[in-house]
Amino acid sequence: MLEVFIFATLNGLVTGLLLFMLASGLTLIFSMMGVLNFAHASFYMLGAYFAYSISQYMGFWAGLLFAPIIVGVLGAGVERYGLRRVHQLGHVAELVFTFGMAFLIEESISFFWGTDTKNYRYPDILNFPLFTLFGQEFSAYRGFMIGISIAIFIGLYYVLTRSRIGIIIQAAITHPHTVANLGHNVPLIFMGVFGVGTALAGVAGVIAGPVLTTFPGMAAVLGSIVFVIVVIGGLGSLAGAFIAALLIGLLQSYAIASDVGVPDLLNLLGLSFERSHPLNDLWTLTLPQVAPILPFLLLVLVLIFRPTGLLGKREQ
Amino acid sequence: MAILSLKDVRKNFGETEIIRGVSLDIEPGEKHAIIGPNGAGKSTLFHLISGLFNVTSGTIEFKQNEIQNKTPYEVNRLGLARSFQVTNIFARMNVFENVRCALLWSCGYRYSFWHLLGKQHELNEKAMHVLEQIRLQDKALFPAGELAYAQQRALELGIAIASGAELIMLDEPVAGMSHSEAENAVELIRKITEGKTLIMVEHDMNIVFDVADRISVLVYGEIIATDNPENIRANPRVQEAYLGEVAVSA
Amino acid sequence: MSMVKKLSVWIGYLVVLLILPRLFDSILAISILNQMAIGIVFALSYNMLLGQGGMLSFGHAVYFGLGGFMAVHALIMIESETAYFSILLIPLIGGAFGLIAAIFIGSFSTHKAGTVFAMISLGIGELIAASSLIFVSFFGGEAGISGDRTFGPLFFGVDFAQDLEIYYLSAVWVFIATVFMYLFTQTPSGRMANAVRDNPERAEFIGYSARRVRFISFCASGLFAGIAGGLFALNYEFITDESLNAITSGRVLLMAYIGGLGYFIGPIVGAVILTLMNSLLSNYSDLWLLYLGIMFVLTVMFLPRGFAGFIMMHQVVWLRGNLKSLILPYLITGIPAAIFTSACIALVEMSHLEEEVFHYLGLELDPSATLTWIITIAIAAGSFYATRRSVGQLSDAWESANSFPDSEDR
Repeated sequence: MLEVFIFATLNGLVTGLLLFMLASGLTLIFSMMGVLNFAHASFYMLGAYFAYSISQYMGFWAGLLFAPIIVGVLGAGVERYGLRRVHQLGHVAELVFTFGMAFLIEESISFFWGTDTKNYRYPDILNFPLFTLFGQEFSAYRGFMIGISIAIFIGLYYVLTRSRIGIIIQAAITHPHTVANLGHNVPLIFMGVFGVGTALAGVAGVIAGPVLTTFPGMAAVLGSIVFVIVVIGGLGSLAGAFIAALLIGLLQSYAIASDVGVPDLLNLLGLSFERSHPLNDLWTLTLPQVAPILPFLLLVLVLIFRPTGLLGKREQ
Repeated sequence: MAILSLKDVRKNFGETEIIRGVSLDIEPGEKHAIIGPNGAGKSTLFHLISGLFNVTSGTIEFKQNEIQNKTPYEVNRLGLARSFQVTNIFARMNVFENVRCALLWSCGYRYSFWHLLGKQHELNEKAMHVLEQIRLQDKALFPAGELAYAQQRALELGIAIASGAELIMLDEPVAGMSHSEAENAVELIRKITEGKTLIMVEHDMNIVFDVADRISVLVYGEIIATDNPENIRANPRVQEAYLGEVAVSA
Repeated sequence: MSMVKKLSVWIGYLVVLLILPRLFDSILAISILNQMAIGIVFALSYNMLLGQGGMLSFGHAVYFGLGGFMAVHALIMIESETAYFSILLIPLIGGAFGLIAAIFIGSFSTHKAGTVFAMISLGIGELIAASSLIFVSFFGGEAGISGDRTFGPLFFGVDFAQDLEIYYLSAVWVFIATVFMYLFTQTPSGRMANAVRDNPERAEFIGYSARRVRFISFCASGLFAGIAGGLFALNYEFITDESLNAITSGRVLLMAYIGGLGYFIGPIVGAVILTLMNSLLSNYSDLWLLYLGIMFVLTVMFLPRGFAGFIMMHQVVWLRGNLKSLILPYLITGIPAAIFTSACIALVEMSHLEEEVFHYLGLELDPSATLTWIITIAIAAGSFYATRRSVGQLSDAWESANSFPDSEDR
């Protein structure tokens, strides 16, 4: 029991931190520009594919370095030549535009890389068990994922709170007009933040690709969950996104690892239903089965009862 | 019997108290102006009365109904209509639709999805009549968002008065207008509020003293005086707090 | 518009709906027409939300899919003789179920418009889609469920086994649904939906609860989406979880947006264009989804009011009799733009080709020869340059033909 719990926690931590890496970029972009970037997970997928291609020639580490840069440049380009134009058309147009970008990026990836799953692997140097607990191994690569996520979190925190540009960004989050009036080039900052945000998504893609498989549907797998996190955490709140990401990661991990379900509950209550009952699916529901829908259930509940999210101040 | 009666109304935003115990009685048919320096809380007071904000404490009675915790649409249905300082119209609809929408509830259509508006001749005539009042009948089919500024302000008034509310609240109705436009607007306000109760916030003192029967002076969330125009003009506290400043700047 | 004029538009619409299968009577054409019928009702119902009511939904397939599933269950019930009614009424069953779902979900999701609404719709959409794979007895798991539409009482001897017969049935339903959705826009609730879309705050100050207004539009939209789902069930006689997941939700957004949100006719245009692309383009190219994505993004960027908006932009010019002055400028820009587009398509297709020879626009190109590539790239570059150069004269011509500002500049 304990071993299940520990491994579920560790796996939840890996997922949660990965989700946070995606969510942090999305939150930054939302805070500054008021745009929920639907294509965010698509940039994550681009990160994985670029890293895969680079790793074919130059190895994993080069991919880790260059793929996020390429993704960031692409992201900045999308902001400069697409989003900026659509921005004048209003909020709905912006959301729809990023939605279209998500669609387009997925199709482009199928075009350039094909629809099959890529054999993108982590380097041999990390291919050993980091430690063994209760006879189960915890791979070094997962440890590496945790490490790099935390490093990025600290780096981001440092940049945002200590550096000059970070302070401008923070100011722009709460008072965009004032910052513009102070003479800062807000469009340039926007482009930069969009680039950095998408580059962060790219990093997440690079390190998640080998574990979560690199295929054209990988954006769709995480895409809506990242939204859930940003909304649950509170739109525009980095700390909220961090908490929500860990919460979702752990919640899903525990749900999958557990083996309880409605039958156990019914046993506990001394109830029983016939197999042929029309609601049979409901009586036999187990927690691992519902794990995929838990984030969305949480999202709907949060939005109904606390539309600002956990730590959000702004309500759209 | 007062039509609108505020008793010790207070409003806090977090720690800051914006409205600090306002009591005010408005008599039916009176034209009442609220003046005061910027940041005195005039718009906040409007928002409290019209239901946009809830009060922190105190009561607001409109026609003997307590309205301090009612929503804007509940307040409106009782017969209180208002305009906004920043033009607040239905930009993508045409001028006629703007006014007709403002008439719907008072004409009893509620949330109907079985009446076809084209066939409601009485309603449509009423809407045209309002358009004539605000002199926008030529622009009836023009998208509201593309009207000139003064025309948008007129439409703003039209939406407020269309429903035939007994109490009309106008928030800086002539702000941003040229002198001649403002004169026209005042004429319009006088005409359309005939026989009704009017509360307005306005910075232009000529208009205030011209239109109002009584004036309240709001300074830092408190009413320091309510009286007829002559007495307000003569009131030393008012001069000190407000009018002197205006006289200097003007 | 006068009464007669209005009526003639509607009669024309009905005639077109009914005459189309006479003009295009191949099996493929009938199947495309059936898809169009479904798409039109679905896209119009989506426009009730987004275009008329300002609610951006990423989960509209929920009502379509639930209606469709219920309709297939109704077909099964007719087949197993637990119920006895004509399949003519199947869309109504779908609609009723869509409405019930919308009443339930709308009761909490229409509190706010904007991002909150969009996110709730996304969450509900994912929730229902994922649940559909869990509750196998109703949704049939990944295989879905299937029925048979030929049971139940005959309609004047017709058993609806043929796709053509189903098309006529669908056409009548499309007509009815279109009429009612149009009439809805003419009612107090329909008009207030526009008002709430434009300015929810002000709407509250003229006596209406913005939430209630949204709720009514939301329910009406769910009803018609359910009817579309019922038509889907009748046409295909089976339904899977795809009909209520994000793919279908995205597709209807695409249809409505490409067609044009602000106009009642827009979603109809969008449904026709997308269905045609879907059916015809997919025969010619495996990459049609890529083209669709590019087209969608370009539409959002350059034609924010969609194709219907683009057509309507010319109304004023037309009324002033200036349309002729635009023909030449359009040709000067349009021809190089068309050449550029075809050259780009050629490049894209050639890079992805497995055969030796590429048949394109009546030409036989050899993708393995470097010369082919050089020439195509040169054509693309040249035509791009020509397009860029000529855009200026087009916008000048537009300005002079139309003294009102271009609607995109609003």
